[in-house]
Amino acid sequence: MADLLGTFEQAVLLAILRLDADAYGRAVLHQAQELLQRNVSAGSVYTTLDRLEARGLVSSRLAEGTPVRGGRARRYYTVAGKGIEALSDAHSALTTIWAGVQLPTGV
Amino acid sequence: MSRGTQSPPRWAEALLEQLLSAHERETVVGDLREEYAESAVVQRGRLLADLWYLRQIWSFVPRRLFQNRIEGKMLQAISFFTFACACWLATMEMVLRHPGYGLRIVFAVSIALISLATMIGRLGHVERRGEGWRWAGALLLIGIGGQAFLRNVRAAHFEGFVVVISVALVVQGVLMVMSRSRTA
Repeated sequence: MADLLGTFEQAVLLAILRLDADAYGRAVLHQAQELLQRNVSAGSVYTTLDRLEARGLVSSRLAEGTPVRGGRARRYYTVAGKGIEALSDAHSALTTIWAGVQLPTGV
Repeated sequence: MSRGTQSPPRWAEALLEQLLSAHERETVVGDLREEYAESAVVQRGRLLADLWYLRQIWSFVPRRLFQNRIEGKMLQAISFFTFACACWLATMEMVLRHPGYGLRIVFAVSIALISLATMIGRLGHVERRGEGWRWAGALLLIGIGGQAFLRNVRAAHFEGFVVVISVALVVQGVLMVMSRSRTA
């Protein structure tokens, strides 16, 4: 099993999966904020995307820009097979370590 | 100005561009310009949108400072130093042939190879195929450096150059773990 993903990495990967074909940087940023239910800085999302891409967990492609972007290209992300595996491992690990645990109430 | 036509201050965009790698410069600046025009200005007004943009720039600063500049240069300099030291140690061991010199030569050559690979960026390329290589090299350096440091501290004769080299090895190992390939 490869290194387990952190919560933020999982949120970014799941954001890409949820967005499907619309997963470009800005959309991933919004989706990650929605999933984590807090404000997320652009730097943390792009740093994570960069790291996930370097690890082969996501791949990206460039697409044409729009006038509001000053014509700058968009980078669309896709979760690679290795990324799906990593998500699955993280999910299994969580399920395993929580199995049979009942948190005490009224603490 | 109508919705979606405003853009962040040019100086701020120029600053952001300086913090980004060539791989992401165009797309990230484009994304943030889009967000600024379509969301930040509309929801917060121009002044608060500018502050929001500055906050986003700030969020890229730690990575840029740490990974691309300070860390990269430090790693390069320390790798050069440890490479030179390892070559010198291996040569001296071969000449003097004190008991156990064979193993020490193996360690010295290993250090030299790891440092050389770090200097020419090969570990960065290997890393793209597997994190294990970078970790293995880094842990070896930390292990050798840490052990040399402790043995020197406990020894009857304290030798300053051993401390310098062993600390350099540990720092190099830590920097290798923390750094990532940024070839794009």
